[in-house]
Amino acid sequence: MSNTSRRRWPLLLPPLLWQLTFFLLPLLFLFVISFWSVVNFRLEPDMTLKNWDFMLSRSSFWSAYGHTWALALGAAAVTTACSFPAACSLAFTVSERTRKLALMFLVVPFFTSYLVRVYSWQAFLADNGIVNALLSVVGIDGLPMLNSDFGSLVGYVTLALPLVTLVQTMGLAQIDRNLIEAAHNLRAGPVRTLFEVIMPLAKPSLVVGALFAFILAFGDFVAPTYLGGGAPPTLSNLIIDTTKSGQQWPRAAVVAIVMILTLVLTSLAAVRLAYGRRK
Amino acid sequence: MMSGNGMLKIGRWFGWAYTGYTFLFILAPIAASLVFSFNADRFPSLPLKGFTTDWYGGTFTDPLVIEAFQRSVMVSIPVALLSTILGFCAAYCDFRFEFRGKSLFGLLMLLPPTIPAVIMGLGMLSYLSRINLAGEVWAVLISHVVIALPFAMAMIRLRLAQMDAALEEASWNLRASPAQTLWHVVLPFCKQSLVAAFLITAAVSFDEFAVAWFVSGLNETVPVRVLVFLQGQVSPVINAIGTAVFTSSILLVAIGMGFSGMGKAKRAAADSPAQPAGGAVTNNGLSL
Amino acid sequence: MKQEDKSLQSPFRRRFLQSSTALAAGSALPLSLTAASSWAQSSGGQPRTLTMLAWYGHAEPDIVAEFEAKYNVKVKPKYYTGGDNMLALISQSPAGTYDLILSDAEYVPQLRKAGYLERLEAKDYPFDDYFPEFQKFPGHWDGNDLYAVMVRFGFLGVAYNTEAVPESKARSFKVYWDPAYKGKVGHFDWYLPNMGEISLYAGHKAPYKLEKEQFGKLQSVMKSLRPQVAGFFDYGGTFSGLKNGQLQLVCGIGDWITGTLARSGAKVSSVVPDEGGLQWTESLSIGKGTRNRDLANAFIQYITSAQGQVKSAKMAAYPALIPNRKGWELLGQSDAAEARRQGMVLQGHNVMDDIRSGKITFRQLPVQQSIEDWNDFWSEYKEKA
Repeated sequence: MSNTSRRRWPLLLPPLLWQLTFFLLPLLFLFVISFWSVVNFRLEPDMTLKNWDFMLSRSSFWSAYGHTWALALGAAAVTTACSFPAACSLAFTVSERTRKLALMFLVVPFFTSYLVRVYSWQAFLADNGIVNALLSVVGIDGLPMLNSDFGSLVGYVTLALPLVTLVQTMGLAQIDRNLIEAAHNLRAGPVRTLFEVIMPLAKPSLVVGALFAFILAFGDFVAPTYLGGGAPPTLSNLIIDTTKSGQQWPRAAVVAIVMILTLVLTSLAAVRLAYGRRK
Repeated sequence: MMSGNGMLKIGRWFGWAYTGYTFLFILAPIAASLVFSFNADRFPSLPLKGFTTDWYGGTFTDPLVIEAFQRSVMVSIPVALLSTILGFCAAYCDFRFEFRGKSLFGLLMLLPPTIPAVIMGLGMLSYLSRINLAGEVWAVLISHVVIALPFAMAMIRLRLAQMDAALEEASWNLRASPAQTLWHVVLPFCKQSLVAAFLITAAVSFDEFAVAWFVSGLNETVPVRVLVFLQGQVSPVINAIGTAVFTSSILLVAIGMGFSGMGKAKRAAADSPAQPAGGAVTNNGLSL
Repeated sequence: MKQEDKSLQSPFRRRFLQSSTALAAGSALPLSLTAASSWAQSSGGQPRTLTMLAWYGHAEPDIVAEFEAKYNVKVKPKYYTGGDNMLALISQSPAGTYDLILSDAEYVPQLRKAGYLERLEAKDYPFDDYFPEFQKFPGHWDGNDLYAVMVRFGFLGVAYNTEAVPESKARSFKVYWDPAYKGKVGHFDWYLPNMGEISLYAGHKAPYKLEKEQFGKLQSVMKSLRPQVAGFFDYGGTFSGLKNGQLQLVCGIGDWITGTLARSGAKVSSVVPDEGGLQWTESLSIGKGTRNRDLANAFIQYITSAQGQVKSAKMAAYPALIPNRKGWELLGQSDAAEARRQGMVLQGHNVMDDIRSGKITFRQLPVQQSIEDWNDFWSEYKEKA
């Protein structure tokens, strides 16, 4: 026993120390800073609750919080719904070869900077943009899309859709075909098979995919800034604005801590939902 | 039965059409960026104004862009190396050892990607500026290892899960020390995932903009440069950089696919753990 | 448990690995391509490096190329958006990181008090050629000690799309409330110029010096504008919004953005409305702890000289007015059209007349309230549609 414990230190210590020093400590430091004050644009060590009091008592903070939550939840729902039919198609109705090719195309976006893609969306969504030009051909008048929550959502979905589709396709592809065959033999229609056999079996990948989308959207500042018009602000926008506002890093730290707590709780809930008691 | 089949068929066609649209959604902004990178108009709008390669010229002669490219390369390679090594250590510990606080250890290793980049940036900048590292290339490197390590660990851990536990025991029985076993049995077994982890983590670092934006100071990387363009002069150089990086990547994906096709037989063998792995042990055992 | 894990992971792992290997391989080409070019580049006569913290454009080739060639130096910029962003960058970097600091004039006193600036020698710069108003710019001097040199300035008013908005309408801030432009009004995302403009509209002669009830009035006037507003944009966002017609009116900017767009053929312009306009001012300082004081000083001399001033007036990123009279003369000779466009003509009505008539107020930090008070209101304003 002591033999293995001696053996594991050389392997355990380097990653442990690295993440402790450069991941946990910065986050803890952020927590500490949230109790500091700002004097003449400089951070001064302090033990004050006034930053917490200030942020948490502001209605604008809570409406930003609600707005961010709603957007992230919307992104998770939309992304999951959008990718599920595609994932089903890829998992059940195409050959192994086609599926591989399709997965490759899902991986492609990871090579194009998210920033570049968001910039590109502006050209599609603008009032005089590509989408409205196409709509006007079929006689639909200009729809406002850019600088709205819809714009932000397009950005979030751009960010999350490839990953979520990947996760879902992999999850669905693992489902034992015999179960689907069995359902079919028992005369279950395709819809019933979908809801009573496939979806329950794919639940972990559905939930994990949705969680990824939620996490990505909750923290993203690019889409709300460049497609959402920067208003109303999300929590990430609020962090950036607050650091710019008279060097209020302690207040930004408060927002950051609240965001981390939210994400941790959401993730725990999602994991519980995905794996039930097994984990 | 017939009608059920008919429905299935319709469903299938619908599914394919839908999947097509999904891919259209995913690929449209990339394609548009490619088109606009050759458009003479400085702002992306229809109708197109005419063909030009000026933006590419502008990209590859802009000293700031060239410097950013160099820096991105210089950062992403050490990041990939460090993340892969540390990721392997973490994955192996998780695979091999039982110890108190193991789940906490796993959480600490895997958590970073779930922390929003803005928060990581904020935390890193305030922390690193206290130890006088903010604004240095080191700051970017350190932060990127933190972010990339979990990817490496996850990938290698998945490969380790394929390894037959008897493999290592057999090696020990042949009197190989744990270190020798690690070197001659475990590492070769993980080789492919190590290479993949190296490349993935390099890609993560090469594309990360938010944390780098906070901590890089004067030492901008390519994505930070793109962000600055987006906040500032808004020029099709954004599209040119994006397209240049993208096309070269795609070319390699194609080549990579070719390789994975060739290596298929070999991989299939390696994937069924018991037998060929046993063979590997004997080989290694002999060579020890 | 273990068995189950394996059955879950095996196919997952295989696919994941296949796609990820290809994905990973893909990232290698751009890497190796650029690595090759980077090592080819690094040889040659070692130029010195001069670092500059500035608004976008101040270290682009059209401005610095001549200076770089003359002194064998490479100017390395860090660009920021807004004075608060600038302060954040300075405060988070070790002393000596930035040799030159280009800041908005109202931030110079803060920078000086926080100890971020070196003291300058007034005799090094051509103040005698400056218009008298700009020789002792407020906040740049502490008694007789100089800390910053004004380089350029411009006016802020109503920026508008000339095809959608007639100039007669744009001549009052009232146009922002016009129902015809609902959802087409943008804000440049910085509280200072926006709140200053609306403060002028609310009838405050000194827009930044507000008693409590005046500040309250400013807030309620602003809130009445909020339903008209499409969004809040940085420089890039404002730029593309005005160009693609997404925005027809923008609050908080002026010719520094519309002038650049007009040069590239966009139908946009700016006016100083009847309620008055604001003046933005950019000044150069030398960062505390610099190791390149001589070079930094040489750069300030270069850009405040008549030739440098002409470059600055025509800067590609955004044009500006210049405080050096000799610069005006040279601009009139070399580019009379631009001199006329910007109103920098020595005969006839010019921008100095606007300043002297009292139509223009210097943009400054809030006097009675703190920066945070104004900024907090700005966040609140953004929130409520």
